[in-house]
Amino acid sequence: MRRSPAFETFRYAAIALALALTLLPILWMVSMAFKPIPEWSATGADLTWIPRAPTLDNFRFVFGESTSDLIVALERTAWRPILSSLLSAVFGTLIAMVCGTAAAYGLSRFGSGKNLPLALIQLRLFPPMAVMIPVMIMWAFLGLIDTWWGLALIYGIVTLPFAFWLMKTFFDEMPREIEEAALVEGCSRFRVFMKITLPVMRAPLASSALLVFILNWSDYLIALLLTTKNWVTIPVYMASLSSSMTGQLYGAKAALGLLAAIPPVILGIAIQKHLVRGLTFGALKQ
Amino acid sequence: MTTIRLENLVKRFGDFTALKTMDLEIRDGEFMALLGPSGCGKSTTMNMIAGMEEPSGGRILFDGRDMNGVPMGKRGVGFVFQNYAIFTHMTVRQNLAYGPKMRGMSRSEIDRRVKNIADFLQLTPMLDQKSAKLSVNILQRLAIGRSAIVEPAIFLLDEPLSNVDAAFRAVMRTELKHLQKQFKQTMVYVTHDQLEAMTMADRIAVMDHGVLQQVGTPLEVYNNPANIFVAKFIGSPGMNLIAGELAETDRGLAVDLGPWGLSPPLPDDLANAARAAGSRAVQYGFRPEEATLASEGQGLRARVTFVERIGARTIVHAESGQPVKIVTENDVGFAVGDAVTIVPAPGAVRLFDAASTAAIRGA
Repeated sequence: MRRSPAFETFRYAAIALALALTLLPILWMVSMAFKPIPEWSATGADLTWIPRAPTLDNFRFVFGESTSDLIVALERTAWRPILSSLLSAVFGTLIAMVCGTAAAYGLSRFGSGKNLPLALIQLRLFPPMAVMIPVMIMWAFLGLIDTWWGLALIYGIVTLPFAFWLMKTFFDEMPREIEEAALVEGCSRFRVFMKITLPVMRAPLASSALLVFILNWSDYLIALLLTTKNWVTIPVYMASLSSSMTGQLYGAKAALGLLAAIPPVILGIAIQKHLVRGLTFGALKQ
Repeated sequence: MTTIRLENLVKRFGDFTALKTMDLEIRDGEFMALLGPSGCGKSTTMNMIAGMEEPSGGRILFDGRDMNGVPMGKRGVGFVFQNYAIFTHMTVRQNLAYGPKMRGMSRSEIDRRVKNIADFLQLTPMLDQKSAKLSVNILQRLAIGRSAIVEPAIFLLDEPLSNVDAAFRAVMRTELKHLQKQFKQTMVYVTHDQLEAMTMADRIAVMDHGVLQQVGTPLEVYNNPANIFVAKFIGSPGMNLIAGELAETDRGLAVDLGPWGLSPPLPDDLANAARAAGSRAVQYGFRPEEATLASEGQGLRARVTFVERIGARTIVHAESGQPVKIVTENDVGFAVGDAVTIVPAPGAVRLFDAASTAAIRGA
């Protein structure tokens, strides 16, 4: 289709604007991460787009090395929050995927009606804030405050509906004949699930797990409410990077933000490949 | 090597009755085709034989043993699915070896069987390929091989050829028949393609709307359809049927076909059966292949509406209120609009009761 030059111009202008809006903060963060203190500090009179004297000091700083410019010392380094984020996000994803997949399979194959599947999603009907106060009380009662496992548990619960609905859709679309073919050969139901269904569903499983992982990894609110000191996650830790002397430590925040953005970006690209490819069941040609 | 008996088999899905009632005996080593249009209950019947669905009523007996409650894995059936249901995460070899492995066969026995079946179905070159990337024709053979490898006593095939191209379908028809001759299983074959049923089956069970219409050898079903449905469904094109009334003439019983004129007198046995049946309103039937066209003389009067060339033969469409089709040689001397006289071959005429649709048969 041939479009008019005016339309093409408008189209590219719109795309450029959208990209500027979305990419500018990222560019700013990347640039900031490599700037020495005078270039990012609130007192600095010379803010620049591109670092004039690029440095890795901000990265060294968050990992606890002393740096020449920044005289403040950190109470805690970024190692522990990174560990906390990894543990809570990975185990939260595991909980959500194992329970969600099992529930989705059961309801897809043996369930009837829509009420049960819909009931599982009602956790998402409210903003997380609405349920967080009771959750805080429960977690305090169970001694789960400020633990990575407490965080992993709530992450698993919060993202379970996502895992469930994604997997249920995939299971619904999977041709049952593949399972029946194995059942006819005398395979047990459970073995069919483990040896046939799950391997056939590798791609959907991977993409759902990655999506859930990114949700958990990006959480700020829940971690802010349920952790205090030992097991704060990257986003919570990042927010705490400030001092009375220097104010907000923008350079350190940017460096940490850049590091924290790496897993979701990589995983996001991986998901995209799976999602674009979609569900290609080679056996099903109709 | 098993006899399958279906007794008063019924299947309901909620309010919908997929199978009203079905009595059928499939003999040991027989190739039985379940033939019918989509939604006739043939696949439901098959799924119940395999154990994928529980009957709502009635019994399924294998060699006299009631299969009710026996899980599908314990019935000893092989099943080939319409969409093949290949385990796409496995290689061709792993797919073939799956059944023997589940039955705990030894490594050497599995290898021997895989080699044999792969040779037989020409799968040897792709044994170690991932099955997800194979062509439909190969997936098809693999699906058959995966079921055949354990030599099940009962082999069930659910429209296995409906997704492959015409040329390959012709090849597979021969191979399936060959396969069955070699292993001598009892074979049940679901299809909506009468050509598949006619060419392969020992007997055909024609079904419609959840009711078994007729069971018989391909020629029985073709020559002596039990009712109007079978008459129209079997044959390509199906049997010509013209509504008429029985009429006594001085040359014997004939059928008054309205605008077509009076039919030639019926053969004695058919006439006697028609008189005995008592009904006057009938459908007068004859196969498109079993009538000749003339420009004049005694026969059914009609006008040519269309001349359809299909290659080896020509189908002449003619009409006199109702349409009929006549299959003739290619050098047909009629054009659209010509008056034509249709003469059904002696012995080709079939009568059906207009009310009950059942065939009226001579002795």
